[in-house]
Amino acid sequence: MSGRRAETLVIGAGPGGYVAAIRAAQLGRRAAVVERARLGGVCLNAGCIPSKALIHAASLYDKARHAAELGIAAERLSVDLDRLIEWKDAVVRRLADGIARLLKGNRVETLQGEATFLSPRTLLVRGAEQSEVLEFEECIIATGSRPIELPGFAVDGKRVLGSSEALALRALPRRVLVLGGGYIGLEIGTLWQKLGSEVTVVEVTPSILPGAEAECARVVARNLKKRGVRVLTGSRALALEEAPGGARVRVAGAKGEEAIECDVVLSTVGRRPLSDQLGLEAAGVRLDERGFIAVDERQRTNVPGIYAIGDVAGPPLLAHKASHEALAAAAAIAGEEGARRPRLIPAVVFTDPEIASVGLTESQARAQGIDVAAGKFPFAASGRALTMNQGDGFSKIVAEKGSGRVLGAHVVGADASEIIGEMGLAIALGATLEDLARTVHAHPTLPETLMEAAEAALGRAIHVLER
Amino acid sequence: MAERSHDLVVIGGGPGGYVAAIRAAQLGLSVGLVEKQKTLGGTCLNIGCIPSKALLESSQRYAAARDELAAHGIKTGRVRLDLAVMQRRKDEVVGRITQGVAALMWKWKVKIYTGEGRLAGAGRVALRRENEEEEIAATNIILATGSVPAALHGVDLDGDRVCTSTEALAWRTVPSHLVVIGAGAIGLELGSVWRRLGAEVTVLEYLDRILPEMDAEVAAEARKILAAQGLAFRLGQRVTAARAAGGQCVVEAEGEKPLECSHVLVAVGRKPFTAGLGLETAGIELDEHGRIPINERFQTSPAGVFAIGDVVRGPMLAHKASEEGVACVEMIATGHGRVNYDAIPSIVYTWPEVAGVGRTEEQLRAAGVSFRKGSFPFLANGRAHALGSVEGRVKVLAHAETDRVLGVHIVGPHAGELIAEAATAIEFGASSEDIARTCHAHPTLAEALKEAALAVDRRAVHV
Repeated sequence: MSGRRAETLVIGAGPGGYVAAIRAAQLGRRAAVVERARLGGVCLNAGCIPSKALIHAASLYDKARHAAELGIAAERLSVDLDRLIEWKDAVVRRLADGIARLLKGNRVETLQGEATFLSPRTLLVRGAEQSEVLEFEECIIATGSRPIELPGFAVDGKRVLGSSEALALRALPRRVLVLGGGYIGLEIGTLWQKLGSEVTVVEVTPSILPGAEAECARVVARNLKKRGVRVLTGSRALALEEAPGGARVRVAGAKGEEAIECDVVLSTVGRRPLSDQLGLEAAGVRLDERGFIAVDERQRTNVPGIYAIGDVAGPPLLAHKASHEALAAAAAIAGEEGARRPRLIPAVVFTDPEIASVGLTESQARAQGIDVAAGKFPFAASGRALTMNQGDGFSKIVAEKGSGRVLGAHVVGADASEIIGEMGLAIALGATLEDLARTVHAHPTLPETLMEAAEAALGRAIHVLER
Repeated sequence: MAERSHDLVVIGGGPGGYVAAIRAAQLGLSVGLVEKQKTLGGTCLNIGCIPSKALLESSQRYAAARDELAAHGIKTGRVRLDLAVMQRRKDEVVGRITQGVAALMWKWKVKIYTGEGRLAGAGRVALRRENEEEEIAATNIILATGSVPAALHGVDLDGDRVCTSTEALAWRTVPSHLVVIGAGAIGLELGSVWRRLGAEVTVLEYLDRILPEMDAEVAAEARKILAAQGLAFRLGQRVTAARAAGGQCVVEAEGEKPLECSHVLVAVGRKPFTAGLGLETAGIELDEHGRIPINERFQTSPAGVFAIGDVVRGPMLAHKASEEGVACVEMIATGHGRVNYDAIPSIVYTWPEVAGVGRTEEQLRAAGVSFRKGSFPFLANGRAHALGSVEGRVKVLAHAETDRVLGVHIVGPHAGELIAEAATAIEFGASSEDIARTCHAHPTLAEALKEAALAVDRRAVHV
């Protein structure tokens, strides 16, 4: 059986795959992308986008409920979850249609089906009605990841939900137990709390958001507590039992065991690569010990012509890391020289307040033996934050002391996600503290806090009292 | 009593003056700061940027509660406005920040002189309060007296209903029909505040476009969006008269029928404030725009007298004044100090916001610079959809040969926060490719800047 030929074949149409296919096409390759579910992948259909839409709506609701001090009284506020979910679905649909148009406009062929390697040069695509064998010159694997499940907490879509199910729920659960205090659990947990649920978070490590800068995570933890979210760190969920009118989860913590009643359990304990159903052995592609596809800095696997990007190619499991690697892989395929990209992947967490980070944290820098100069500036001293009624949080800059070279930036506060972009660029450009301090920042804006943090690291912040 | 003397006396405690004072103290100078108002912070903190942003935020939340919640499945009954509470919160924000500035002065041991300052011969400042006058000796003097709203011939300000931004920030009732004269940043921001709170708003502008300082294409897009929110624009209008008459106000423009309204805001720009500074005795002559002439070291004609901020050339922006304050003081203390005037962002806090940094398309064309343009609409940005705010675009202008970023112009959600990255790019002499190759977090609005940078080379992924 000899198949059709594609020059560049991409498996998976998430934020890694569709970007890779479009970029390869722009660079002159005849490209096709294989998708077994929906264009846009987890990010668009069951992740970043729907969660941010719901988070925005929940925060509008929360702000409307607490607007009295601004002189605004909204009477009889209530949430129509059906309507909210429909709005969210409409957002997702619009963006998915956009991706379909982009693929078409760039002359990328879309194939619906499951992909399996038959050899290092051929792929079997099994669609609903027919199967097809495709030959390729290059293949980019961008299959992403799927949730991990805890033993005893299998996702059943009723009692135990994964994030995908949670984002489609049409009735607000009264009591929620969130398994896992990482960013997905906290984002959805906070959004439900804002809409009216009682939320308990169970996290096995000693603090929430184990990947985030510790001081930033503490601000979020404090705010969760203020909101009435119960956070049990250093705790392990042991078992799920049915109980009258709901479920009961036995949780073991430092102070012994307790039984927590809830209506649903949200399981967000992590994700793992989707690398086990692809027939990679037929292609000879090597995995690392955790099941990620091993790649080099140009996203090449051990098999010539086969590339891997995004979640399946290793952490961090972030959409923009996948897109970033997509551009790198496409450039490598097209033989673009000098196409190396700084590997500086920002991370944003849409908790309340938001956290955004790029580069090294202070403790990471110290662990590398670097002599660190760090500076912090509180949002409480930012005119812009105060006008927004959001004085919670800070910006922090981490630099190498001697050279002043900026190594990392960490923000917890309102709109943190929107102000970290500057820092990614500044670090990529090799900025020093002095550079940041001497770049004009508009007043009154939140990015002034980054400039002031740099000045603080130099020992000369203008707008802080303590030295 | 021994005469007071300082290494530096700053006249004017606004964002130029107080920042200069702190930086000077950090550099070891003994500093006096003269301010005629009871609170520090100048126009920006007391009657400008800060109170307007507080009202913009509150009014935006009010409008969101009234108009936006339903689309997100949030049901609400009547949404009521308590303007007195809204104004009180604004005053509290201003109070907190001006007190913060006072605390900073205390921390840095800057001596505050409340009163009017005047140049009184070489190395001397006269301080007048009530009927007293005292003299302070100063090795260096910085004039940072700022600006006041420009008047318009034929307009009779009554300090209440026919007024400037100062009064329009403090109205205790929502105007039924507000006429704004001048479609600059101040006019559009305050017009937006009162429009959101329920006023009918008409904006009269002399030119045939709004936001004359901003990139024309971006300003035109902003006009469409704001018009859809109910700001009625009448362009090319030469206002000849405005006055309060009985319970109404009347605005007359050349060739138009008189326009009746309840309130008139005059926002036709600002002019440098130099009255009573004793400039003539010091031999300082103002330029044709009423500004104090300075050289590149911020020096005026007499030795030891410097000037910064709105009283000198350049855009009248708080952050430009602060930067000049820092640079001027560093020049005095160390011999070096510099402001990069090519990288000063400016922002209009309408919703969506409008922001720009560097050169506009018109400026580049006029200068004969060949450039390439990349543009990306928020309609193709996931975060904008999740925020329910998809209007506007990011535009990147880069040199045709070198790809160096020359200007970035944004109309869209949080444009004011996004412009910081663009300013950093320009400050560093970055290319559009530098922005394009930097990983931007998903889903964020900042991705639109990256895509616009990609579009310069016609390789945006998402359009």
